[in-house]
Amino acid sequence: MTTPAETKPPAPPITVSKTAEPSTLDVSVGPQHPGSGHLRLLIRVDGDYIVSVDPDIGYVHRGCEKIAEYRNYVSNIPHLERPCIIDAIHLNWGYVLPIEELQGVVVPPRGQYISTIAAEMNRIMSHLYWLAINAGVFSGHTTIFMWAFGDRDLFIELAEMLTGARLTYSFLPPGGPRRDLPSGFEDKLTKLLDYFERRLVEYDRIFFSNPLVIARAKGIGVLKREEAIKLGVAGPVLRGSGVKYDVRKAEPYGAYADLDFEVPVYEEGDSYARFLVRFDEMKQSIKILRQALQKIPKGPIARKAPLVAPEGEATGRVESSRGEYAAMVIGDNSDKPYRVKIMNASFRNLIALPYLIRNVHVADMPIIYGSLDYWPVEADR
Amino acid sequence: MAQVALSREETTINQLKTRFPEAIKEAKVDRARRVTVEFDSAHLIEIAKFMRDELGFDHVIGIAGVDYTTHKKIELLYFTASFSKPDIQDLIVILKTELPRDNPVIASSVSIWESAHFHEREAFEMFGVKFEGHPDLRKLLTLDNWDGPPPMLKDIKFPEMGQR
Repeated sequence: MTTPAETKPPAPPITVSKTAEPSTLDVSVGPQHPGSGHLRLLIRVDGDYIVSVDPDIGYVHRGCEKIAEYRNYVSNIPHLERPCIIDAIHLNWGYVLPIEELQGVVVPPRGQYISTIAAEMNRIMSHLYWLAINAGVFSGHTTIFMWAFGDRDLFIELAEMLTGARLTYSFLPPGGPRRDLPSGFEDKLTKLLDYFERRLVEYDRIFFSNPLVIARAKGIGVLKREEAIKLGVAGPVLRGSGVKYDVRKAEPYGAYADLDFEVPVYEEGDSYARFLVRFDEMKQSIKILRQALQKIPKGPIARKAPLVAPEGEATGRVESSRGEYAAMVIGDNSDKPYRVKIMNASFRNLIALPYLIRNVHVADMPIIYGSLDYWPVEADR
Repeated sequence: MAQVALSREETTINQLKTRFPEAIKEAKVDRARRVTVEFDSAHLIEIAKFMRDELGFDHVIGIAGVDYTTHKKIELLYFTASFSKPDIQDLIVILKTELPRDNPVIASSVSIWESAHFHEREAFEMFGVKFEGHPDLRKLLTLDNWDGPPPMLKDIKFPEMGQR
């Protein structure tokens, strides 16, 4: 019989180790949480330069896809949206779309609009979180950290009013959203959007047009258009490299086909371009939310969906805050999925890390990492 | 006789079938924007190269393994899509192949689609599929806390999570 000590896997490499090349050192960044989330970047440094990066992920892997095979379709929603709690609506929606396709359930128009409103609010919240932590803190800008976090809470309060929860909503079971818009919600959201639009001007002045931010982010971590296509990255990382692709336009779901909005694209491909894509996306979200409030039809919000899904495979996708989020569900005539495959943007953008954090200063690493808006838990699942 | 205009989905299938009459076993349009193509796993590299260079499917969204214990096979699904061709950006072509359950081996597609790098590593550790020619085939997610067989296989059960 082996003792627990013997079955334990070998200890990970020490934090700093000498390498064959005399001038380089291997340094382990993480997996403790320096604001980045739980991942480890094994970087090889030569003086102040990073020679290469080996991302070591999986520290927050919890086997979501395996667990999903043991739970029924509806009780899978809470744990499948947990991987990215700041973007829960999109993870929920992306998982529910293929189930609805298998079951042949069509969400009524009002339900589609409510889902869209919740999703766009979630996009603003997620981008504000990114702005506070991944852009603000990583570039040493405490003011934008405070501002963005403060404003994010206003949206969280409205989300709580709509769904009953601050972050993990489980709002969209198959068939449509759980609740209708509460009374007074439209007024509150309209007021908040007016306030937030004014705030974005101030954000621009203190952060996005700040010469210090520009000096630190512009020209850093350039991902060219061909590279972005080759690596198959997603979301703002892709659009910051000049590829005009957005699931909301390519394959409209929810109410997006009725709504008029632009897809912000920047050609430069550097960290600053990715910053600006997200900044512009928040403006577009305001535009979408205003239209949705205006156009929302009356009627039922949801249809009753069966608990069982028939045999078959279906793949659905949404544009989450980090990019394309696709899910494949295989049904087998039972109330539990035979297989759920989650394909999210963070896992796809992971490949950009070793690509971009190469031949750069150590001090540029947080900016590049922050500009990717990589969410370790979403990637690990 | 009037020519019936083919949809983009059908055109894609026809192009693949004309080019690879033997390797493509079955191809069908699941619904608008979704195509499933079943192929012989030995021809992955040629098909992938044709898909990328001729048809414009330049990246993979993900690679999914599915374990079918009753049929003793592991299915491997490549979700391919295009960024560079705006008119087919909304299509997902699912390339599906079967591998024997006791020895799942297939060529690595990383040389064609660099985006497949981490997806293949994931399928390797979760289903034990060996991707021949992968530049860096190591465990990824379960590195330090799982030394059993590939955990996503159906015969790996976790009774404490309930019945399956």
